[in-house]
Amino acid sequence: MSDHHDHDHDHDHAPITVDELPGYFDLMETAVRELLVERKLFKAEEIRRQIEVLDSRTPALGAKVVARAWTDPAFKSRLLENGRSGCEELGITFYDDTQLIVLENTGAVHNLIVCTLCSCYPRPVLGLPPDWYKLKPYRARAVHEPRAVLEEFGTFIPGDVEIRVSDSTAIIRYLVLPMRPEGTEHLNETQLADLVTRDAMIGVIQVAYKREAA
Amino acid sequence: MGTENLVRKLPNDIGGDEAGKIERVEHVLLPWEKRCHALADVLDFHKIINTEEKRRGVESLGAEMIGKLSYYERWIVAFANILFQKGILTPGELAVKMSEVEGRFSDVSSTHHS
Repeated sequence: MSDHHDHDHDHDHAPITVDELPGYFDLMETAVRELLVERKLFKAEEIRRQIEVLDSRTPALGAKVVARAWTDPAFKSRLLENGRSGCEELGITFYDDTQLIVLENTGAVHNLIVCTLCSCYPRPVLGLPPDWYKLKPYRARAVHEPRAVLEEFGTFIPGDVEIRVSDSTAIIRYLVLPMRPEGTEHLNETQLADLVTRDAMIGVIQVAYKREAA
Repeated sequence: MGTENLVRKLPNDIGGDEAGKIERVEHVLLPWEKRCHALADVLDFHKIINTEEKRRGVESLGAEMIGKLSYYERWIVAFANILFQKGILTPGELAVKMSEVEGRFSDVSSTHHS
């Protein structure tokens, strides 16, 4: 246990050196994995391949989906009908059995996603969630005081706009389709995708666009 | 305020609880944490442990462990417990394997300090 320390802190980790003795849980992970490989329940290769899959998933994928929805109304309606098959049209594979529901922000409704029970998140299109999404304050508060939560992220939604919070489950995941900002009519799909951030697709912020000074 | 709340709300069920300010913390996963995540996915693909079993496995660690272990520490301990329950591994086998793995680092253990 000597190597164990609490990871719910906010300082950076000391550099990991190759000669460092692995901690208790690190050893446990290796031991569990190797025992299961020895039992032929899966191959070591599958873990390596899945690490590559995880590394390939970033919010850039979700941003591509959002930008396409902003520029192609027929795609948008298919995406809102079935989020998973919409993403698959763009070549984004779902490596698990999860379904995806895409929630459209409008002038009348602002969507926010959370997983109160744990950390369910649209990983195939956004990658792994940030730590704050998995920690108690966000999970506990998003469902009962979403406006206060949004304000902590610097997001102020007018009082006449409904805030709708969707609580993810093991098999149903959500992705927010943010509103396309004003003044972006001249941007192409790639330029639009560059504006879309992870936090906007969680729903804690809106997509911003500042026209560059001429 | 009574003890009935312990029955009504299991440790993971925190939606609506009072909680402090959201600290916008993030960290790049440590190598073992990323392996642990990949392990979770592979266990799910092979229908050995699915996502909901994992969540329940974490919940059944109890409030103290949930509070004190980090995210992926909770996952690996839950996986071990579930594998014991399913009769796939025994605690003894895991202990022997952990010592064997630790032994591979015997060169550094003498110089290790913490």
